[in-house]
Amino acid sequence: MDLFLQTLLNGLLIGGVIATFTIAFQLTFGVLHVIDFAVGGWVVLGGYLGYYMASGLGLDGFLAIPVAFVLFGAIGYLLGPVLYNVRNSRTARPELMALALTFGLFTLLRGGMLTAWGFNTRSVATALSGESLTLGPVTVPLIRVAAALFAAAIACSLFLFLYRTRYGLAIRATAENRNNAALMGVNIRRLSANVYGLYAGITAMAGVLMGAIYSVNPEVGLRYTLFAFFVAVLAGLGSVGGAVVAALLLGVIEAYVSTYVGSSYSLLAIFATLFLVLLISPRGILRRGL
Amino acid sequence: MAAHAIRTRWLGFLFLAAMLVVLAVLPWAINNYWLRIATGALMWAGLACSWNMLGGYAGYINFGHSAFFGLGAYSSALLMNDPFGLPFLATIPAGMAVTALCAVAIGGPTLRLRGAYFAIATWAFAEVLIQFATVMDFTGGTGGIGLPPFLNERFFYFAMLVAAVLTYLVTWALFERSRFGLKVKALRDHEPAAEAMGINTALVKLQAFVLSAVAASVFGSIFAYWVTFINPKSVFGGDITDQMVVMVLLGGLGSLWGPAIGGVALFVVNRLIWMNWGDTAFYIAILGAAIVLVVLFLPNGIAGLFARRGGNGALAKAAEKLVRGGER
Amino acid sequence: MSVAMSSAAAAPAQADSILVVRGLHKHFGGIKAANGVDLEVRRHEIAGLIGPNGSGKSTLFSLVSGTVPPDSGEIRFDGREIAGMSAHRIARLGLARTFQIPALFENMSVRENLLAAAAEGHWAGARERAEETLALLSLEHVADNRASDLSGGQQKLLEFGRAVMRQASLILLDEVTAGVHPNIRRIILDAIVRLRDKGVSFLIIEHDMEMVRNVCDRIIVMDSGRVVTSGAFEDIVRDSQVMQTYLGRPQ
Repeated sequence: MDLFLQTLLNGLLIGGVIATFTIAFQLTFGVLHVIDFAVGGWVVLGGYLGYYMASGLGLDGFLAIPVAFVLFGAIGYLLGPVLYNVRNSRTARPELMALALTFGLFTLLRGGMLTAWGFNTRSVATALSGESLTLGPVTVPLIRVAAALFAAAIACSLFLFLYRTRYGLAIRATAENRNNAALMGVNIRRLSANVYGLYAGITAMAGVLMGAIYSVNPEVGLRYTLFAFFVAVLAGLGSVGGAVVAALLLGVIEAYVSTYVGSSYSLLAIFATLFLVLLISPRGILRRGL
Repeated sequence: MAAHAIRTRWLGFLFLAAMLVVLAVLPWAINNYWLRIATGALMWAGLACSWNMLGGYAGYINFGHSAFFGLGAYSSALLMNDPFGLPFLATIPAGMAVTALCAVAIGGPTLRLRGAYFAIATWAFAEVLIQFATVMDFTGGTGGIGLPPFLNERFFYFAMLVAAVLTYLVTWALFERSRFGLKVKALRDHEPAAEAMGINTALVKLQAFVLSAVAASVFGSIFAYWVTFINPKSVFGGDITDQMVVMVLLGGLGSLWGPAIGGVALFVVNRLIWMNWGDTAFYIAILGAAIVLVVLFLPNGIAGLFARRGGNGALAKAAEKLVRGGER
Repeated sequence: MSVAMSSAAAAPAQADSILVVRGLHKHFGGIKAANGVDLEVRRHEIAGLIGPNGSGKSTLFSLVSGTVPPDSGEIRFDGREIAGMSAHRIARLGLARTFQIPALFENMSVRENLLAAAAEGHWAGARERAEETLALLSLEHVADNRASDLSGGQQKLLEFGRAVMRQASLILLDEVTAGVHPNIRRIILDAIVRLRDKGVSFLIIEHDMEMVRNVCDRIIVMDSGRVVTSGAFEDIVRDSQVMQTYLGRPQ
């Protein structure tokens, strides 16, 4: 029973971290109409940033969080218009080309990281590494609790931004209906750049947290892309509300399969669930608007 | 104009016939090392063409095409071993049948949705197969599975040649020269309009998808027998799909010869890198960069440079100007 | 499809309406795009569908052609109930339509667009008919161009040409002459009348009153998702209230 509860808590904590970047992923789809294969690449890059700041500069890994946001936010801000141009180009089949572009970007990031850093696994050292927290019958690593709290703070800020600011309203309006938003005077191109920057920044921050909880190597990017797709499919592409629920569910499924069946089966279980959902209820089972 | 078109067509046929003759005598002209490279080039040209059937003509990106290549490979491997012990040629149709069933099961529900869902579904399917083949016992797990060795390079060269020629013939006949091709291209360009023309778009898409999957499976079967040893990464790996996507994009999406050009070109580059630097992760980065650059700067691929209409046809337009200038 | 064609020609007396719509409803959220539409199109008739913007004309086309499924109501085409049937099946029964915003196969050539329209159904002789249609619509010189390279007016022509290639017994035309050069409009009008004389029925959405007067045998007026009235052009015009209310143009 204790193991059961502990697994549940572990899963929810991880799910919380997954939720941060999958919300941003969904938002990006809503605004840009592109599913970003490179999402896992941003996570891994964030993890490496944390590793180099902790091991190279001797700083605490958590200090990398704001740096990741600024650095990858800027990169995303620069990449956003490129993606927007391809998605809205007059050439044949822009949707397909945009998909191919993010796929190429993902492959480029993966290949580049493998070339630069090899297959070695790195983890982000923080002051909390190795500590654990006991809550009644269950014990969880303190780092997971801290990461989940960070994640919750990021997610709450994002929701406040989306629902309490004028710019957030413009983003939601665009995700709802691009043409109407354009008619209302929203500059979709600039908005796309900002949203992609926001998304890349948030995803890299989640990467630092993931690097602190687990560890990173260039090949695990695939795993995070899968997470994002899993949430997108369960929640329905573009749905932000359902994304939180789907991410928590994903964390819990992964935790239980790893604990009770074996960690080598966890990816199989996630892929199989994703695939079954696509076959049975292809538009998402947790679909909800913004 | 008409006489000119007929002459162009004859030149085209002549060129193709010459190519076929060269390809047929090639094994006697080069050593085994180069023969293996030629065999690989034929395989990749064929695989790229099979991906293009759906991606180029129907406009649906399949990010898990390696699944079908792997299904063919594993079908042949399992059926040639005990307890089945089937002859190689019998395992090819078996692999095709398994592949067709899987393609119907995935394509049926997901091809009705927008392309993004289909891309995710195919990608997930390929990954499920990797994981599945890795954890199962009967597939040999991570270690993989061996096939009865058959060390005749010429046999494999001709097997790949026949498979590739058939793939291109089928593509030409069905997608370029028949009503089926018109339907596929129509639904790619405007699905509601295609429906309004009486085209059962769900069915036509599924047919194109199954065709493309089955073609990939044939190459998988031959590949498995050729290399005599397969494992989940070597036949289901995402890198295989990556390569096909780059080859088609580079050569020209939705053109008949684009995948052949892109496939052969990229495979040769791959081998050159391999000869000089060995198995390097750098190649993955090059693949990624190639996709990005092609999408940004050459959206119609190499074939688009020569296209008379459609595409940007920059070279074709320049050539046309020259010809017209000469006539005056 | 040939069944539909022959019955259209052979048995006009048995049922003189090729299309009968009864109590058709379609709501999009709170908007009642079709709010109990009743109308019919007779055989060998060119029926004009007019009404203000947003009165539900284009929605009616989508419902009848199966592009959008209706919430409730009956649609009988050539004696057969087609409400809720998929678009391609309805098309195969002999109903063709055009789209208000040209929905061309952009990466295909003009000729291929015409051939694709015939790919499902009357394929025998399709190549010859494509050439005839190209000639009829004066599109021969751009036959090998990509459809997306056409001018706006030529796109409308091609949109119309595809409907012709279907060899349908009923053709729905959605503002096929809007924003089109007068010469091109002339070509389309002549073709419509010629096809009507061959036995094809038309339901056309049109804003241009000149054209409505010239080609339509009967006018159907829609407003707020319903049919308000129908009759001969002169009768509709005489009813100045209809003209004022629905067309915003006295006399």
